[in-house]
Amino acid sequence: MIYYLLHNLLPFKQELLLLLGIFILLLTQIFGGKQHTEWTLQWVNLLLLIIVLAGFWPVGYNSAFSNMYQLTSLNAFEKSVLAFAAYIISLQGYNWLQRFEHTYEFYVLVLSSLLGMFCMLSSTNFLFFYIGLELSTLPLALLVNFQLNKKQSSEAAFKFIMSAAFASAILLLGISFLYGLSGSLNFNAVAAKLILNPFSLVAFLLFLAGVLFKVSVVPFHLWTADVYEGAPISVTAFLSVVSKASVLFVLLNLLFKVFYHLQSVWHIVMLILLLVTIVIGNLFALRQENFKRFMAFSSITQVGFILVAFLGNAYNASTAVVYFLVIYLFSNLAVFGVITYVENAFDKQNINEFKGLYKKNKFLSWVLLIGLFSLAGIPPTAGFFGKFFLIMSGSENLNYIPWITLAAVNLIISLYYYLRVAIVVFDNNVEFDAPTIAIPQPIKLSFIICIVGILITGVGSWIYHYIYSLTAAAF
Amino acid sequence: MGTVALFILTIAAIVFSAGGILASRFFTKSVYNPQKGQPYECGIPTSGTPWSQFHIGYYLYAIVFLLFEVELVFMYPWAVIVQKIGVGALVEMFAFIVVLFIGFLYAHKKGALKWM
Repeated sequence: MIYYLLHNLLPFKQELLLLLGIFILLLTQIFGGKQHTEWTLQWVNLLLLIIVLAGFWPVGYNSAFSNMYQLTSLNAFEKSVLAFAAYIISLQGYNWLQRFEHTYEFYVLVLSSLLGMFCMLSSTNFLFFYIGLELSTLPLALLVNFQLNKKQSSEAAFKFIMSAAFASAILLLGISFLYGLSGSLNFNAVAAKLILNPFSLVAFLLFLAGVLFKVSVVPFHLWTADVYEGAPISVTAFLSVVSKASVLFVLLNLLFKVFYHLQSVWHIVMLILLLVTIVIGNLFALRQENFKRFMAFSSITQVGFILVAFLGNAYNASTAVVYFLVIYLFSNLAVFGVITYVENAFDKQNINEFKGLYKKNKFLSWVLLIGLFSLAGIPPTAGFFGKFFLIMSGSENLNYIPWITLAAVNLIISLYYYLRVAIVVFDNNVEFDAPTIAIPQPIKLSFIICIVGILITGVGSWIYHYIYSLTAAAF
Repeated sequence: MGTVALFILTIAAIVFSAGGILASRFFTKSVYNPQKGQPYECGIPTSGTPWSQFHIGYYLYAIVFLLFEVELVFMYPWAVIVQKIGVGALVEMFAFIVVLFIGFLYAHKKGALKWM
Protein backbone atom coordinates (compact mmCIF):
# COMPACT_ATOMS: atom_id res chain seq x y z
CA MET A 1 0.00 0.00 0.00
CA ILE A 2 2.69 2.49 1.07
CA TYR A 3 4.90 1.11 -1.67
CA TYR A 4 2.10 1.59 -4.19
CA LEU A 5 1.66 5.21 -3.16
CA LEU A 6 5.38 6.00 -3.22
CA HIS A 7 5.80 4.30 -6.53
CA ASN A 8 2.97 6.36 -7.95
CA LEU A 9 4.02 9.66 -6.44
CA LEU A 10 7.80 9.72 -6.92
CA PRO A 11 7.70 11.01 -10.53
CA PHE A 12 5.31 13.63 -9.20
CA LYS A 13 7.94 15.07 -6.79
CA GLN A 14 8.15 18.62 -8.14
CA GLU A 15 4.37 18.96 -8.16
CA LEU A 16 4.17 17.51 -4.66
CA LEU A 17 6.63 20.08 -3.36
CA LEU A 18 4.50 22.82 -4.90
CA LEU A 19 1.36 21.35 -3.33
CA LEU A 20 3.13 21.23 0.01
CA GLY A 21 4.01 24.91 -0.32
CA ILE A 22 0.41 25.85 -1.20
CA PHE A 23 -0.96 23.87 1.74
CA ILE A 24 1.46 25.38 4.24
CA LEU A 25 0.61 28.87 3.01
CA LEU A 26 -3.15 28.24 3.29
CA LEU A 27 -2.83 26.57 6.69
CA THR A 28 -0.81 29.45 8.11
CA GLN A 29 -3.63 31.68 6.89
CA ILE A 30 -6.27 29.53 8.55
CA PHE A 31 -4.58 28.85 11.89
CA GLY A 32 -1.81 31.43 12.10
CA GLY A 33 -2.48 34.55 14.08
CA LYS A 34 0.39 36.93 13.45
CA GLN A 35 1.71 37.44 9.94
CA HIS A 36 5.42 37.03 9.24
CA THR A 37 5.71 38.30 5.69
CA GLU A 38 9.49 38.40 5.52
CA TRP A 39 9.82 34.87 6.83
CA THR A 40 7.27 33.63 4.27
CA LEU A 41 9.20 35.23 1.45
CA GLN A 42 12.35 33.46 2.61
CA TRP A 43 10.97 29.97 2.83
CA VAL A 44 8.96 30.14 -0.38
CA ASN A 45 12.13 31.18 -2.20
CA LEU A 46 13.93 28.25 -0.61
CA LEU A 47 11.11 25.91 -1.68
CA LEU A 48 11.36 27.14 -5.28
CA LEU A 49 15.11 26.45 -5.24
CA ILE A 50 14.50 22.93 -3.91
CA ILE A 51 12.04 22.36 -6.79
CA VAL A 52 14.71 23.53 -9.24
CA LEU A 53 17.18 21.03 -7.77
CA ALA A 54 14.57 18.23 -7.68
CA GLY A 55 14.36 18.52 -11.46
CA PHE A 56 17.92 17.19 -11.75
CA TRP A 57 17.13 14.11 -9.69
CA PRO A 58 17.40 11.08 -12.00
CA VAL A 59 14.05 10.08 -13.40
CA GLY A 60 13.43 6.41 -12.68
CA TYR A 61 9.91 5.14 -12.81
CA ASN A 62 8.21 7.78 -14.85
CA SER A 63 4.46 7.58 -15.07
CA ALA A 64 1.59 8.14 -12.68
CA PHE A 65 -2.22 8.34 -12.64
CA SER A 66 -2.68 5.37 -14.97
CA ASN A 67 -0.29 6.81 -17.58
CA MET A 68 -2.07 10.15 -17.80
CA TYR A 69 1.09 11.68 -16.44
CA GLN A 70 4.51 10.93 -17.83
CA LEU A 71 7.83 12.43 -16.88
CA THR A 72 10.87 12.57 -19.13
CA SER A 73 14.16 14.09 -18.00
CA LEU A 74 13.56 16.91 -20.50
CA ASN A 75 10.25 17.68 -18.76
CA ALA A 76 11.95 17.71 -15.39
CA PHE A 77 14.54 20.15 -16.73
CA GLU A 78 11.82 22.38 -18.22
CA LYS A 79 10.03 22.42 -14.88
CA SER A 80 13.25 23.44 -13.18
CA VAL A 81 13.61 26.30 -15.65
CA LEU A 82 10.09 27.53 -14.89
CA ALA A 83 10.60 27.27 -11.13
CA PHE A 84 13.91 29.11 -11.43
CA ALA A 85 12.23 31.95 -13.33
CA ALA A 86 9.60 32.15 -10.60
CA TYR A 87 12.42 32.29 -8.03
CA ILE A 88 14.09 35.23 -9.76
CA ILE A 89 10.76 37.06 -10.08
CA SER A 90 10.10 36.46 -6.41
CA LEU A 91 13.52 37.93 -5.53
CA GLN A 92 12.86 40.97 -7.69
CA GLY A 93 9.48 41.61 -6.15
CA TYR A 94 10.85 41.25 -2.62
CA ASN A 95 10.36 44.83 -1.50
CA TRP A 96 7.19 45.40 -3.45
CA LEU A 97 5.51 42.33 -1.94
CA GLN A 98 6.16 43.48 1.61
CA ARG A 99 3.85 46.45 1.09
CA PHE A 100 0.79 44.24 0.87
CA GLU A 101 -1.31 42.52 3.47
CA HIS A 102 -2.09 39.70 1.08
CA THR A 103 1.45 38.59 0.19
CA TYR A 104 0.52 35.03 1.12
CA GLU A 105 -2.10 34.98 -1.58
CA PHE A 106 0.46 36.14 -4.14
CA TYR A 107 2.49 33.03 -3.48
CA VAL A 108 -0.53 30.73 -3.30
CA LEU A 109 -1.50 31.96 -6.76
CA VAL A 110 2.01 31.82 -8.22
CA LEU A 111 2.56 28.30 -6.90
CA SER A 112 -0.80 27.03 -8.17
CA SER A 113 -0.14 28.55 -11.56
CA LEU A 114 3.21 26.74 -11.61
CA LEU A 115 1.45 23.54 -10.57
CA GLY A 116 -0.87 23.87 -13.56
CA MET A 117 2.07 24.39 -15.89
CA PHE A 118 3.87 21.35 -14.47
CA CYS A 119 0.79 19.16 -14.96
CA MET A 120 0.41 20.49 -18.50
CA LEU A 121 4.07 19.75 -19.30
CA SER A 122 3.97 16.07 -18.49
CA SER A 123 0.42 15.26 -19.49
CA THR A 124 -0.18 12.52 -22.05
CA ASN A 125 -3.90 13.01 -22.18
CA PHE A 126 -5.90 15.92 -23.54
CA LEU A 127 -8.15 16.07 -20.48
CA PHE A 128 -5.20 16.34 -18.11
CA PHE A 129 -3.59 18.83 -20.45
CA TYR A 130 -6.69 21.01 -20.43
CA ILE A 131 -6.97 20.94 -16.64
CA GLY A 132 -3.32 21.94 -16.37
CA LEU A 133 -3.81 24.78 -18.84
CA GLU A 134 -6.80 26.15 -16.94
CA LEU A 135 -5.06 25.77 -13.59
CA SER A 136 -2.19 27.81 -14.94
CA THR A 137 -4.39 30.53 -16.47
CA LEU A 138 -6.97 31.24 -13.76
CA PRO A 139 -4.50 32.25 -11.01
CA LEU A 140 -2.81 34.53 -13.54
CA ALA A 141 -6.02 36.51 -13.99
CA LEU A 142 -6.17 37.02 -10.22
CA LEU A 143 -2.50 37.98 -10.10
CA VAL A 144 -3.06 40.62 -12.78
CA ASN A 145 -5.58 42.24 -10.45
CA PHE A 146 -3.28 41.92 -7.44
CA GLN A 147 -3.28 45.65 -6.65
CA LEU A 148 -6.93 45.78 -5.70
CA ASN A 149 -7.25 49.57 -5.61
CA LYS A 150 -5.90 50.12 -9.13
CA LYS A 151 -8.60 50.52 -11.78
CA GLN A 152 -6.30 49.80 -14.69
CA SER A 153 -5.46 46.42 -13.15
CA SER A 154 -9.13 45.46 -12.92
CA GLU A 155 -9.60 46.33 -16.56
CA ALA A 156 -6.55 44.30 -17.52
CA ALA A 157 -7.71 41.32 -15.47
CA PHE A 158 -11.15 41.47 -17.07
CA LYS A 159 -9.66 41.60 -20.56
CA PHE A 160 -7.35 38.75 -19.71
CA ILE A 161 -10.00 36.44 -18.31
CA MET A 162 -12.51 37.14 -21.09
CA SER A 163 -10.03 36.49 -23.87
CA ALA A 164 -8.56 33.48 -22.05
CA ALA A 165 -12.06 32.01 -21.72
CA PHE A 166 -12.64 32.58 -25.42
CA ALA A 167 -9.38 30.85 -26.31
CA SER A 168 -10.19 27.95 -23.97
CA ALA A 169 -13.55 27.50 -25.68
CA ILE A 170 -11.87 27.26 -29.09
CA LEU A 171 -9.30 24.85 -27.67
CA LEU A 172 -12.03 22.66 -26.21
CA LEU A 173 -13.85 22.60 -29.55
CA GLY A 174 -10.61 21.40 -31.13
CA ILE A 175 -10.19 18.73 -28.46
CA SER A 176 -13.77 17.54 -28.96
CA PHE A 177 -13.10 17.23 -32.69
CA LEU A 178 -9.97 15.21 -31.96
CA TYR A 179 -12.00 12.98 -29.69
CA GLY A 180 -14.62 12.52 -32.38
CA LEU A 181 -11.86 11.62 -34.78
CA SER A 182 -10.04 9.04 -32.73
CA GLY A 183 -12.41 8.00 -29.95
CA SER A 184 -9.74 8.61 -27.35
CA LEU A 185 -8.12 11.47 -25.51
CA ASN A 186 -4.77 9.79 -25.14
CA PHE A 187 -1.94 11.51 -27.06
CA ASN A 188 -0.66 8.31 -28.64
CA ALA A 189 -4.11 7.10 -29.65
CA VAL A 190 -4.93 10.45 -31.25
CA ALA A 191 -1.56 10.56 -33.01
CA ALA A 192 -2.17 7.11 -34.50
CA LYS A 193 -5.54 8.12 -35.96
CA LEU A 194 -4.54 11.47 -37.43
CA ILE A 195 -4.19 11.55 -41.18
CA LEU A 196 -4.24 14.50 -43.51
CA ASN A 197 -7.92 15.14 -44.20
CA PRO A 198 -10.16 18.20 -43.76
CA PHE A 199 -11.67 16.89 -40.54
CA SER A 200 -8.39 16.49 -38.71
CA LEU A 201 -7.20 19.75 -40.22
CA VAL A 202 -10.12 21.64 -38.67
CA ALA A 203 -9.49 19.94 -35.34
CA PHE A 204 -5.79 20.74 -35.44
CA LEU A 205 -6.26 24.39 -36.41
CA LEU A 206 -8.83 25.00 -33.68
CA PHE A 207 -6.55 23.38 -31.15
CA LEU A 208 -3.52 25.30 -32.34
CA ALA A 209 -5.39 28.62 -32.20
CA GLY A 210 -6.30 28.00 -28.58
CA VAL A 211 -2.72 27.18 -27.63
CA LEU A 212 -1.10 29.99 -29.63
CA PHE A 213 -3.43 32.46 -27.96
CA LYS A 214 -1.58 31.89 -24.69
CA VAL A 215 1.76 32.77 -26.24
CA SER A 216 0.20 35.76 -28.06
CA VAL A 217 1.22 34.89 -31.59
CA VAL A 218 -0.03 37.64 -33.87
CA PRO A 219 -3.64 37.12 -34.84
CA PHE A 220 -4.24 36.36 -31.16
CA HIS A 221 -2.02 39.02 -29.59
CA LEU A 222 -4.49 41.82 -28.94
CA TRP A 223 -4.80 41.25 -25.21
CA THR A 224 -1.07 41.31 -24.58
CA ALA A 225 -0.15 44.99 -24.43
CA ASP A 226 -3.14 46.05 -22.33
CA VAL A 227 -2.73 43.23 -19.84
CA TYR A 228 1.02 43.77 -19.53
CA GLU A 229 0.50 47.46 -18.90
CA GLY A 230 -2.26 47.03 -16.35
CA ALA A 231 -0.69 44.22 -14.34
CA PRO A 232 1.75 44.83 -11.49
CA ILE A 233 5.26 44.66 -12.91
CA SER A 234 6.27 41.41 -11.18
CA VAL A 235 3.19 39.74 -12.62
CA THR A 236 4.03 41.12 -16.06
CA ALA A 237 7.43 39.46 -15.78
CA PHE A 238 5.73 36.20 -14.78
CA LEU A 239 3.34 36.42 -17.73
CA SER A 240 6.03 37.19 -20.27
CA VAL A 241 8.56 34.59 -19.13
CA VAL A 242 7.03 31.71 -17.17
CA SER A 243 3.60 31.56 -18.78
CA LYS A 244 4.97 31.85 -22.32
CA ALA A 245 7.82 29.42 -21.76
CA SER A 246 5.49 26.77 -20.35
CA VAL A 247 3.15 26.88 -23.34
CA LEU A 248 6.05 26.80 -25.81
CA PHE A 249 7.49 23.73 -24.06
CA VAL A 250 4.11 22.03 -24.35
CA LEU A 251 3.79 23.05 -27.97
CA LEU A 252 7.04 21.19 -28.71
CA ASN A 253 5.63 18.09 -27.12
CA LEU A 254 2.30 18.37 -28.95
CA LEU A 255 3.56 19.19 -32.41
CA PHE A 256 6.32 16.61 -32.55
CA LYS A 257 4.57 13.81 -30.67
CA VAL A 258 0.86 14.18 -31.45
CA PHE A 259 0.49 16.14 -34.67
CA TYR A 260 3.58 14.88 -36.52
CA HIS A 261 1.45 13.39 -39.29
CA LEU A 262 0.24 16.87 -40.13
CA GLN A 263 3.78 18.22 -40.31
CA SER A 264 3.45 19.50 -43.87
CA VAL A 265 0.45 21.56 -42.75
CA TRP A 266 1.83 23.05 -39.60
CA HIS A 267 5.07 23.97 -41.29
CA ILE A 268 3.12 26.28 -43.58
CA VAL A 269 0.93 27.58 -40.75
CA MET A 270 3.98 28.27 -38.59
CA LEU A 271 5.83 29.96 -41.43
CA ILE A 272 2.98 32.39 -42.07
CA LEU A 273 2.34 33.03 -38.39
CA LEU A 274 5.98 33.62 -37.52
CA LEU A 275 6.48 36.14 -40.31
CA VAL A 276 3.33 38.06 -39.39
CA THR A 277 4.23 37.89 -35.71
CA ILE A 278 7.76 39.18 -36.15
CA VAL A 279 6.79 41.99 -38.50
CA ILE A 280 3.80 43.23 -36.49
CA GLY A 281 5.61 42.85 -33.16
CA ASN A 282 8.50 44.87 -34.54
CA LEU A 283 6.39 47.61 -36.06
CA PHE A 284 4.41 48.13 -32.87
CA ALA A 285 7.47 47.97 -30.60
CA LEU A 286 9.04 50.83 -32.57
CA ARG A 287 6.49 53.33 -31.35
CA GLN A 288 5.90 52.41 -27.71
CA GLU A 289 6.52 54.98 -25.01
CA ASN A 290 5.47 52.92 -22.00
CA PHE A 291 8.17 50.47 -20.97
CA LYS A 292 5.73 47.65 -20.17
CA ARG A 293 3.95 47.95 -23.51
CA PHE A 294 7.34 48.02 -25.18
CA MET A 295 8.28 44.78 -23.43
CA ALA A 296 4.93 43.29 -24.47
CA PHE A 297 5.64 43.82 -28.17
CA SER A 298 9.27 42.83 -27.70
CA SER A 299 8.12 39.51 -26.23
CA ILE A 300 5.70 39.00 -29.14
CA THR A 301 8.63 39.39 -31.54
CA GLN A 302 10.78 36.99 -29.52
CA VAL A 303 8.03 34.35 -29.66
CA GLY A 304 7.96 34.85 -33.43
CA PHE A 305 11.65 33.98 -33.56
CA ILE A 306 11.10 30.93 -31.39
CA LEU A 307 8.54 29.65 -33.90
CA VAL A 308 11.33 29.63 -36.53
CA ALA A 309 12.89 26.63 -34.79
CA PHE A 310 9.70 24.59 -35.13
CA LEU A 311 10.43 24.19 -38.85
CA GLY A 312 13.33 21.85 -38.11
CA ASN A 313 13.34 18.23 -36.97
CA ALA A 314 12.25 17.27 -33.46
CA TYR A 315 15.71 17.06 -31.87
CA ASN A 316 17.15 20.29 -33.20
CA ALA A 317 13.90 22.17 -32.67
CA SER A 318 13.40 21.16 -29.06
CA THR A 319 17.03 21.72 -28.17
CA ALA A 320 17.06 25.15 -29.79
CA VAL A 321 13.76 26.18 -28.20
CA VAL A 322 14.64 25.02 -24.69
CA TYR A 323 18.11 26.55 -24.96
CA PHE A 324 16.72 29.85 -26.23
CA LEU A 325 14.07 29.98 -23.52
CA VAL A 326 16.73 29.53 -20.82
CA ILE A 327 18.56 32.52 -22.32
CA TYR A 328 15.33 34.45 -22.78
CA LEU A 329 14.57 33.88 -19.10
CA PHE A 330 17.84 35.49 -18.00
CA SER A 331 17.80 38.39 -20.44
CA ASN A 332 14.13 39.27 -20.10
CA LEU A 333 14.27 39.06 -16.33
CA ALA A 334 17.38 41.27 -16.25
CA VAL A 335 15.42 43.97 -18.09
CA PHE A 336 12.26 43.37 -16.06
CA GLY A 337 14.28 43.52 -12.83
CA VAL A 338 15.46 47.02 -13.66
CA ILE A 339 11.95 48.14 -14.64
CA THR A 340 10.55 46.60 -11.45
CA TYR A 341 13.08 48.40 -9.30
CA VAL A 342 12.66 51.77 -11.01
CA GLU A 343 8.87 51.58 -11.04
CA ASN A 344 8.54 50.54 -7.43
CA ALA A 345 11.15 52.98 -6.11
CA PHE A 346 10.45 56.07 -8.24
CA ASP A 347 7.07 55.34 -9.83
CA LYS A 348 8.36 55.73 -13.39
CA GLN A 349 6.94 53.74 -16.32
CA ASN A 350 7.78 55.64 -19.48
CA ILE A 351 10.96 55.05 -21.43
CA ASN A 352 11.71 58.77 -21.52
CA GLU A 353 11.62 58.98 -17.75
CA PHE A 354 14.63 56.66 -17.64
CA LYS A 355 16.75 59.45 -19.14
CA GLY A 356 20.12 59.84 -17.45
CA LEU A 357 19.77 56.73 -15.29
CA TYR A 358 23.45 55.98 -15.91
CA LYS A 359 24.60 59.09 -14.08
CA LYS A 360 22.73 58.19 -10.92
CA ASN A 361 22.93 54.42 -10.92
CA LYS A 362 25.66 52.78 -12.98
CA PHE A 363 24.98 49.19 -11.89
CA LEU A 364 21.29 49.28 -12.91
CA SER A 365 22.16 50.78 -16.27
CA TRP A 366 24.73 48.10 -17.07
CA VAL A 367 22.28 45.34 -16.12
CA LEU A 368 19.66 46.92 -18.38
CA LEU A 369 22.17 47.29 -21.21
CA ILE A 370 23.34 43.67 -21.05
CA GLY A 371 19.74 42.45 -20.89
CA LEU A 372 18.78 44.53 -23.93
CA PHE A 373 21.86 43.40 -25.87
CA SER A 374 20.96 39.81 -25.16
CA LEU A 375 17.36 40.34 -26.28
CA ALA A 376 18.57 42.04 -29.45
CA GLY A 377 21.06 39.21 -30.09
CA ILE A 378 24.41 41.00 -30.08
CA PRO A 379 27.31 38.48 -30.09
CA PRO A 380 29.10 38.45 -26.74
CA THR A 381 25.81 37.90 -24.95
CA ALA A 382 23.88 34.65 -24.93
CA GLY A 383 20.98 36.01 -26.98
CA PHE A 384 23.06 35.78 -30.14
CA PHE A 385 23.79 32.08 -29.67
CA GLY A 386 20.16 31.37 -28.84
CA LYS A 387 18.92 33.05 -32.00
CA PHE A 388 21.69 31.40 -34.01
CA PHE A 389 20.51 27.93 -33.04
CA LEU A 390 16.85 28.84 -33.63
CA ILE A 391 17.61 29.93 -37.18
CA MET A 392 19.94 26.96 -37.73
CA SER A 393 17.15 24.60 -36.75
CA GLY A 394 14.62 26.36 -38.96
CA SER A 395 16.78 26.48 -42.10
CA GLU A 396 17.19 22.73 -42.25
CA ASN A 397 14.70 22.60 -45.10
CA LEU A 398 16.20 24.62 -47.96
CA ASN A 399 12.79 25.75 -49.24
CA TYR A 400 12.22 27.87 -46.18
CA ILE A 401 15.49 29.79 -46.36
CA PRO A 402 14.12 32.86 -48.22
CA TRP A 403 11.39 33.28 -45.61
CA ILE A 404 13.77 32.78 -42.73
CA THR A 405 16.05 35.39 -44.26
CA LEU A 406 13.10 37.75 -44.11
CA ALA A 407 12.78 36.96 -40.41
CA ALA A 408 16.50 37.57 -39.93
CA VAL A 409 16.17 40.99 -41.57
CA ASN A 410 13.60 41.82 -38.93
CA LEU A 411 16.23 40.95 -36.34
CA ILE A 412 18.15 44.00 -37.54
CA ILE A 413 15.05 46.21 -37.35
CA SER A 414 14.60 45.09 -33.75
CA LEU A 415 18.11 46.41 -32.98
CA TYR A 416 16.76 49.93 -33.45
CA TYR A 417 14.24 49.87 -30.64
CA TYR A 418 16.38 47.95 -28.17
CA LEU A 419 19.28 50.33 -28.66
CA ARG A 420 16.98 53.36 -28.51
CA VAL A 421 16.28 52.45 -24.88
CA ALA A 422 20.01 52.05 -24.25
CA ILE A 423 20.68 55.51 -25.68
CA VAL A 424 18.01 57.07 -23.46
CA VAL A 425 19.47 55.42 -20.37
CA PHE A 426 23.07 56.37 -21.13
CA ASP A 427 22.20 59.98 -22.02
CA ASN A 428 24.72 62.01 -20.00
CA ASN A 429 23.26 65.44 -20.63
CA VAL A 430 20.08 64.98 -18.63
CA GLU A 431 19.66 64.52 -14.90
CA PHE A 432 17.64 61.53 -13.69
CA ASP A 433 15.16 63.36 -11.49
CA ALA A 434 15.02 61.02 -8.52
CA PRO A 435 17.27 60.44 -5.54
CA THR A 436 19.77 57.57 -5.53
CA ILE A 437 18.84 54.80 -3.12
CA ALA A 438 20.72 51.62 -2.38
CA ILE A 439 19.48 48.50 -4.17
CA PRO A 440 18.18 45.90 -1.67
CA GLN A 441 20.14 42.66 -1.37
CA PRO A 442 17.59 40.22 -2.93
CA ILE A 443 17.21 42.41 -6.01
CA LYS A 444 21.00 42.69 -6.33
CA LEU A 445 21.25 38.90 -6.10
CA SER A 446 18.67 38.48 -8.88
CA PHE A 447 20.66 40.87 -11.11
CA ILE A 448 23.88 38.98 -10.51
CA ILE A 449 22.16 35.66 -11.34
CA CYS A 450 20.78 37.15 -14.58
CA ILE A 451 24.10 38.66 -15.68
CA VAL A 452 26.04 35.50 -14.94
CA GLY A 453 23.35 33.52 -16.76
CA ILE A 454 23.54 35.73 -19.84
CA LEU A 455 27.32 35.56 -20.01
CA ILE A 456 27.72 31.85 -19.19
CA THR A 457 24.85 30.26 -21.12
CA GLY A 458 26.01 31.56 -24.47
CA VAL A 459 29.66 30.62 -24.14
CA GLY A 460 29.29 27.35 -22.23
CA SER A 461 28.58 24.87 -24.97
CA TRP A 462 28.13 22.10 -22.38
CA ILE A 463 24.70 23.60 -21.57
CA TYR A 464 23.62 23.13 -25.17
CA HIS A 465 24.99 19.60 -25.19
CA TYR A 466 23.26 18.82 -21.92
CA ILE A 467 19.90 19.95 -23.33
CA TYR A 468 20.58 17.99 -26.52
CA SER A 469 21.21 14.82 -24.54
CA LEU A 470 17.93 15.37 -22.69
CA THR A 471 15.94 15.82 -25.91
CA ALA A 472 17.61 12.79 -27.47
CA ALA A 473 16.26 10.75 -24.58
CA ALA A 474 12.82 12.33 -24.73
CA PHE A 475 11.87 11.91 -28.38
CA MET B 1 -16.84 9.34 -46.06
CA GLY B 2 -16.16 11.30 -42.89
CA THR B 3 -15.57 14.43 -44.93
CA VAL B 4 -18.89 14.11 -46.75
CA ALA B 5 -20.70 13.55 -43.46
CA LEU B 6 -19.03 16.64 -42.00
CA PHE B 7 -20.02 18.67 -45.05
CA ILE B 8 -23.63 17.49 -44.87
CA LEU B 9 -23.75 18.23 -41.15
CA THR B 10 -22.47 21.77 -41.71
CA ILE B 11 -25.02 22.44 -44.47
CA ALA B 12 -27.82 20.92 -42.39
CA ALA B 13 -26.89 23.06 -39.38
CA ILE B 14 -26.93 26.24 -41.45
CA VAL B 15 -30.22 25.36 -43.20
CA PHE B 16 -31.86 24.40 -39.94
CA SER B 17 -31.00 27.59 -38.08
CA ALA B 18 -31.37 30.02 -40.97
CA GLY B 19 -34.54 28.26 -42.21
CA GLY B 20 -36.29 28.72 -38.89
CA ILE B 21 -35.61 32.42 -38.82
CA LEU B 22 -36.61 32.90 -42.45
CA ALA B 23 -39.79 30.84 -42.08
CA SER B 24 -40.96 32.84 -39.09
CA ARG B 25 -40.18 36.02 -41.03
CA PHE B 26 -42.51 34.89 -43.85
CA PHE B 27 -45.37 33.37 -41.90
CA THR B 28 -45.86 35.77 -39.01
CA LYS B 29 -47.36 39.20 -38.80
CA SER B 30 -45.43 41.59 -36.59
CA VAL B 31 -47.62 43.73 -34.35
CA TYR B 32 -46.01 46.16 -31.96
CA ASN B 33 -47.24 46.15 -28.40
CA PRO B 34 -45.55 48.05 -25.53
CA GLN B 35 -45.81 45.01 -23.30
CA LYS B 36 -43.58 43.10 -25.68
CA GLY B 37 -40.70 45.43 -24.82
CA GLN B 38 -40.82 44.58 -21.13
CA PRO B 39 -38.40 42.12 -19.54
CA TYR B 40 -39.86 38.68 -18.94
CA GLU B 41 -40.77 38.45 -15.28
CA CYS B 42 -43.48 35.80 -14.73
CA GLY B 43 -46.35 38.11 -15.59
CA ILE B 44 -45.95 40.62 -12.78
CA PRO B 45 -44.86 44.16 -13.73
CA THR B 46 -41.20 44.64 -12.85
CA SER B 47 -40.22 46.98 -10.05
CA GLY B 48 -36.93 48.85 -9.87
CA THR B 49 -34.10 48.88 -12.35
CA PRO B 50 -32.51 45.64 -13.55
CA TRP B 51 -29.04 47.21 -13.14
CA SER B 52 -29.18 47.21 -9.34
CA GLN B 53 -26.03 46.06 -7.58
CA PHE B 54 -25.82 42.85 -5.61
CA HIS B 55 -23.85 42.53 -2.42
CA ILE B 56 -20.43 40.98 -3.11
CA GLY B 57 -21.19 38.34 -0.48
CA TYR B 58 -23.76 36.88 -2.84
CA TYR B 59 -21.06 35.89 -5.32
CA LEU B 60 -18.82 34.42 -2.63
CA TYR B 61 -21.73 32.33 -1.34
CA ALA B 62 -22.51 31.19 -4.86
CA ILE B 63 -18.91 30.15 -5.49
CA VAL B 64 -18.56 28.19 -2.25
CA PHE B 65 -21.91 26.55 -2.97
CA LEU B 66 -20.84 25.61 -6.51
CA LEU B 67 -17.58 24.19 -5.20
CA PHE B 68 -19.40 21.56 -3.18
CA GLU B 69 -21.97 20.89 -5.86
CA VAL B 70 -19.19 20.02 -8.28
CA GLU B 71 -17.42 17.97 -5.63
CA LEU B 72 -20.54 15.83 -5.29
CA VAL B 73 -20.76 15.35 -9.05
CA PHE B 74 -17.24 13.96 -9.02
CA MET B 75 -18.18 11.54 -6.26
CA TYR B 76 -20.81 9.74 -8.37
CA PRO B 77 -18.47 8.12 -10.92
CA TRP B 78 -16.09 7.36 -8.07
CA ALA B 79 -18.85 5.57 -6.18
CA VAL B 80 -19.45 3.28 -9.14
CA ILE B 81 -15.92 1.87 -9.20
CA VAL B 82 -14.81 2.23 -5.59
CA GLN B 83 -15.28 -1.48 -4.91
CA LYS B 84 -13.23 -2.50 -7.89
CA ILE B 85 -10.21 -0.39 -6.93
CA GLY B 86 -10.40 -0.82 -3.17
CA VAL B 87 -8.35 1.03 -0.59
CA GLY B 88 -6.48 3.18 -3.08
CA ALA B 89 -9.73 4.81 -4.23
CA LEU B 90 -10.71 5.61 -0.66
CA VAL B 91 -7.36 7.28 -0.01
CA GLU B 92 -7.59 9.29 -3.20
CA MET B 93 -11.12 10.51 -2.49
CA PHE B 94 -10.01 11.42 1.01
CA ALA B 95 -7.15 13.50 -0.44
CA PHE B 96 -9.58 15.19 -2.83
CA ILE B 97 -11.95 16.15 -0.02
CA VAL B 98 -9.14 17.39 2.22
CA VAL B 99 -7.95 19.70 -0.55
CA LEU B 100 -11.43 21.17 -0.95
CA PHE B 101 -11.92 21.33 2.79
CA ILE B 102 -8.76 23.40 3.28
CA GLY B 103 -10.07 25.79 0.64
CA PHE B 104 -13.39 25.95 2.45
CA LEU B 105 -11.71 26.67 5.80
CA TYR B 106 -9.72 29.42 4.11
CA ALA B 107 -12.90 30.99 2.70
CA HIS B 108 -14.50 30.78 6.14
CA LYS B 109 -11.48 32.37 7.84
CA LYS B 110 -11.46 35.22 5.33
CA GLY B 111 -15.11 35.93 6.11
CA ALA B 112 -16.61 34.80 2.80
CA LEU B 113 -19.55 33.23 4.64
CA LYS B 114 -20.35 36.28 6.75
CA TRP B 115 -23.54 37.89 5.45
CA MET B 116 -23.18 41.70 5.38
